[in-house]
Amino acid sequence: MSKVLTIIRKEYLERVRSKSFLIGTLLGPALMSMFVVLPVLLSNTGAENARTVGVVDGTGEILPRLEAALADQGRDNITLVPFEVQEEGPDSAVAALKDEVRSEDLDAGLVIDPGFVATGRATFFSQSVSAMVMRDEVFRPALDRILRESRFAAAAIPDSLFSYLSARTSWSSFTINAEGVQEKQNEEATFIVAIALIMIIYIMVLMYGNHTLTAVIEEKSSRMVEVLLASVSPGNLMLGKVLGIGLAGLTQFGVWTVAFFVMSQQGVSVGGLSLDVHFLTPVILVSFVMFFLLGFFLYATLYAGIGAMCNSVQDSQQFHGPLTMGLVLPMLLLSLVLRAPDSTVSVVLSLVPLFSPVLMFMRVCVETPPLWQILTSWVLLAVSIWLSARLAGKLFRMGILMYGTSPTWASLMKVLRA
Amino acid sequence: MSSLVDDLPPLGETILSLHGVSKSYGTTRAVQDVNLEIPRGSIYGFLGPNGAGKTTTIRGIMRIVLPDTGTIEMMGRPLRGALLDRIGYLPEERGLYRKMKCVEQLSYLAQLKGVPRREAVERSDRWLERMDLAEYRDRKVDSLSKGMQQKIQFAATFIAEPVLVILDEVFSGLDPLNIELLRDMILAERDKGTTILFSTHMLAEAEKICDSICLIEGGRVILDGPLARVRAEFSLQSVKVAWADDTVPPQDLPGVVRKELGEGVWHLTLGEEADARELLPLLAAAGRLTYFSANRPSLREIFLAAVARHRQEVAS
Repeated sequence: MSKVLTIIRKEYLERVRSKSFLIGTLLGPALMSMFVVLPVLLSNTGAENARTVGVVDGTGEILPRLEAALADQGRDNITLVPFEVQEEGPDSAVAALKDEVRSEDLDAGLVIDPGFVATGRATFFSQSVSAMVMRDEVFRPALDRILRESRFAAAAIPDSLFSYLSARTSWSSFTINAEGVQEKQNEEATFIVAIALIMIIYIMVLMYGNHTLTAVIEEKSSRMVEVLLASVSPGNLMLGKVLGIGLAGLTQFGVWTVAFFVMSQQGVSVGGLSLDVHFLTPVILVSFVMFFLLGFFLYATLYAGIGAMCNSVQDSQQFHGPLTMGLVLPMLLLSLVLRAPDSTVSVVLSLVPLFSPVLMFMRVCVETPPLWQILTSWVLLAVSIWLSARLAGKLFRMGILMYGTSPTWASLMKVLRA
Repeated sequence: MSSLVDDLPPLGETILSLHGVSKSYGTTRAVQDVNLEIPRGSIYGFLGPNGAGKTTTIRGIMRIVLPDTGTIEMMGRPLRGALLDRIGYLPEERGLYRKMKCVEQLSYLAQLKGVPRREAVERSDRWLERMDLAEYRDRKVDSLSKGMQQKIQFAATFIAEPVLVILDEVFSGLDPLNIELLRDMILAERDKGTTILFSTHMLAEAEKICDSICLIEGGRVILDGPLARVRAEFSLQSVKVAWADDTVPPQDLPGVVRKELGEGVWHLTLGEEADARELLPLLAAAGRLTYFSANRPSLREIFLAAVARHRQEVAS
């Protein structure tokens, strides 16, 4: 046992003392908040390009109201350029408009039919597909509203009746927590915190799983492994390595988690969104640590087994990809589970040990599943860790002294069957 | 640990024994029915060509590969667990952690052999001193020359004060100064009662220091025992002779089994019954003799003769 402790100590200190650990610990939260906050920031501030849109207003009345509607929506990146309609009709103005769209002097052109209030017809010219997005998101709703207002006005309906008829629903949302107390929910912040926690689990498991892989390969490439095996058994060597690296990961994880909570307690806000941690129940917190640890040990033992078979990091690539898919896949399935966290598909997927650290934790965050499901996923993960540790131990003993030949899937299978 | 030292057999008694050890890889029989008795305090040469099964046998002793059959005992007990900590092992595939400081490297390896941490650091300092590497204590291994790295490897092998030291093909790849250093270390350890088992295919190197040898070929032991006894068993002799002119050795020299000419000197290998002294007058009569010497058989000659005898036995 003291030998395992010696190995743990060496692996732990080697990592914690390295510059990359320090840099990673400091930059990690910054990078992660960028992942989470940047898309929000971008969509909020609407960092869209300035657009110039030519308008041929056949009615001569709609354009000022359209400008007012755009100003209301805060679309100040769109500039409307009026095209004068001559006495003989709009045709020459439309031709000029099309020319300028073709020559890219204008991003798009909008023609409002002279009988717009009666027909509701408008024509849109553009060269790019992205202009279509502008048509659907900006001009269609604005003209819809103008058309509606014009027709209400034509029907001489008083303003009071108009606002009554065009009313919209008004919503308040609450969540009922375990104590039956209703709380005002800030969905956006809750969602962002949940995503941030999942990203931490995902990145940490992937990163430290990889550390295990390279650490095992390093023993082989530095030709140390035979000296070590003369002192410790392959199983203890692997155990020491995985625990030492896991402990280093836990240290970083701890630093980040503490920083995260201190920041949220201080009410630090990122990109206009305050980090709301009120939704973090004890179940979520315990799950967070458990899924990180269990996820790490599952992937670390698998990576260690693969590392034992390979002579170089290049060798390991072919096995690395499929294993990493085990983590990437649940990230892709996240939105599916988010939409229906209690559906059979979500329950089954989140119980798959390779996926649990991401998917079950997501479910815990959005809508706490029955306790038995959480516990089952932990038990399944623990059993998988035990199995993969045995498997890895076998690969370790067989593979660790294999030099020269690059391993293949066939040789991997042969060793496992032996 | 002390009880293990107390269990040491007297000098010259068997410390390590292998009985019927076999190991196959797939259909390849790497080692077949190896039986060895290694006396305490000896320098035991484990000799044979590349691929003879030396490394497999050694890995079997260290439990890095597990033999298919047979038993391996040290001090009369099955060799495993804490007993393995009493063996210093320097494999052919040897390396160091390149990014680790010299002192950390040595103390790490000492701790893995069961030396407590504080003592491991003290011993590391002593060994760095002894190897003239004290000034490199806190330098990373990859800033050391290859020769210095080899010295660190020697120190790591001896740091846990082993009762048995196993060196696999240790002389290959060493610079001449380090060969000298290692030979001195081996002799000094032997004088302290440490048993040294080393494998090599360089027979000339082995001949200089071995007390006992084992010759292995094709996975089988074909000869083993104290070097003096082996030499007596193969009472081979060789004669080197040269003449002033281009004289060729006479055809009918009694007992001569092979004649080779190299650099103007004839090398005559004699059969087991032959006597070099009878040859001298015959050679002198053949021409104007300028050089004559009768030699003990070299290990290489013994090895070739033993292989030939073994093949004959197998064939018949």
